Amino acid sequence: MSEELDLLLIGLGVTASLTVVTTLLALVAGVAIGGFKISGTKTLARIANLYIDLFRNIPALVLIIFIAFGLPNILPPDVRKTIFFDNQLVNILQKITGLSLPYYMLAAVTGLTLNTSAYLAELFRAGVGTISRSTLEAARTLGAGPKVTFFQILLPQGLAASFPAISTRLIHNMKNTSLASFVAIPDLFHASQAVISRTFRATEYLLLATVLYLLLAFVFSGILDRVGRQLSPSR
Amino acid sequence: MIDQLEFLIRNIPNLLFGFPGYRPGGLSLSLLLTLLAIGAGFPIAIIVSQGLDSQRLLFRRLARLYVWVLRGIPLILLLLLVHQMTGGLRIFGLDRRPIFSAVIALTLYCSAYQASILLAGMRAIPKRLVESARLMGTKSGVSSRAVKLRYALHVMLPAFVGQSISMFKDTSVVIVLGVAELMTVARIILGSDASNAANWVSLYLFVGAFYFAVAFTFSRFAAKLERRQRNQDLIYSLSNY
Repeated sequence: MSEELDLLLIGLGVTASLTVVTTLLALVAGVAIGGFKISGTKTLARIANLYIDLFRNIPALVLIIFIAFGLPNILPPDVRKTIFFDNQLVNILQKITGLSLPYYMLAAVTGLTLNTSAYLAELFRAGVGTISRSTLEAARTLGAGPKVTFFQILLPQGLAASFPAISTRLIHNMKNTSLASFVAIPDLFHASQAVISRTFRATEYLLLATVLYLLLAFVFSGILDRVGRQLSPSR
Repeated sequence: MIDQLEFLIRNIPNLLFGFPGYRPGGLSLSLLLTLLAIGAGFPIAIIVSQGLDSQRLLFRRLARLYVWVLRGIPLILLLLLVHQMTGGLRIFGLDRRPIFSAVIALTLYCSAYQASILLAGMRAIPKRLVESARLMGTKSGVSSRAVKLRYALHVMLPAFVGQSISMFKDTSVVIVLGVAELMTVARIILGSDASNAANWVSLYLFVGAFYFAVAFTFSRFAAKLERRQRNQDLIYSLSNY
């Protein structure tokens, strides 16, 4: 009994850390890509559009599996091994995470980040769109350069305006971390499968996993609510 | 390179329609699953959204719980849970074929999202519309709800299309039940043959391209719809001013 519980708790930890890492990465990447889109430079805007269209329209599962299983196969086997599965960086990662193939973790994180950041970029851009023109003109009159304008006005106000939508997407991202189990990441879903194959008690453990996911969603959305309240200046 | 292309071309019919001699699968099954989930989810969503908007605390609580639970758990987990439940309990003597479980799970999942979209639409109804409906004599709850629903549907059409696209992409997850849609077919084609390794890249690129083509077309359509909607709303508000 306790061994199964341990497995599930480790899975919960993996899911939580996967969520935190992908959330932070996707936020940074999303804001950056959204910033590219409104930068006014044509090439940057075009790159941002391509990024958003591409990664919003491909399922996260396809992205993760492609990166994990497809990408290494481009290279011949011996080169593949040294780049993806057996070098200094990978060995260090292996020691930290305790996974036998940390590249798959990297692939899952990359896939989830690409998918979520594409959504966040579009949401952030929409949030920036709600900032009134007079604010921007006032900033320009006061002599603010593009850098100051972005970090002092566009970033905080755009994030605050789009935060409800962003937090919905981030919770979706939290649920999507369960897709990492397809590339052998021992997350909560994977752990529940492992426990079921040991105990043959499918219904009980599936329900337990459901409760744990709901708990995670509850906590995570509570945190996001808090952050959202911090961001919005009115409250 | 050439044999990879040949491999892809040979497998296009399989990816689109499933393997010959078996039940239909591939991309067409993905689309079918999406349509079924949206179509069957919608009536449920209407009921749930009425619950969310209800004056009764109990109904509101129940509807909120429904949406919260279904939106809070990953789709793969829901799929397995439904498959397990319908298999274990055999309610209504349902056939235990995975595709049924997939449709039920997708429907439930879809309805929760649709219900929250409908609620948002009903929250966005201008007060004037409800008041004028009341002035025109719609007293009963039913007809005022009908007015509200119609408006909500109209306003939220782009959101519904967006949700449907998202649903289409989410069907890739039914691979856990082994339902032979696009992703599963790709997995079967590749098989467990290690000498196939070179084909992994190209085939998954191909699958990604299929998903992209469908989703991108529909998202462009949604964007167009949204633009037209905005113009229509503008005309509407101008002509009613």
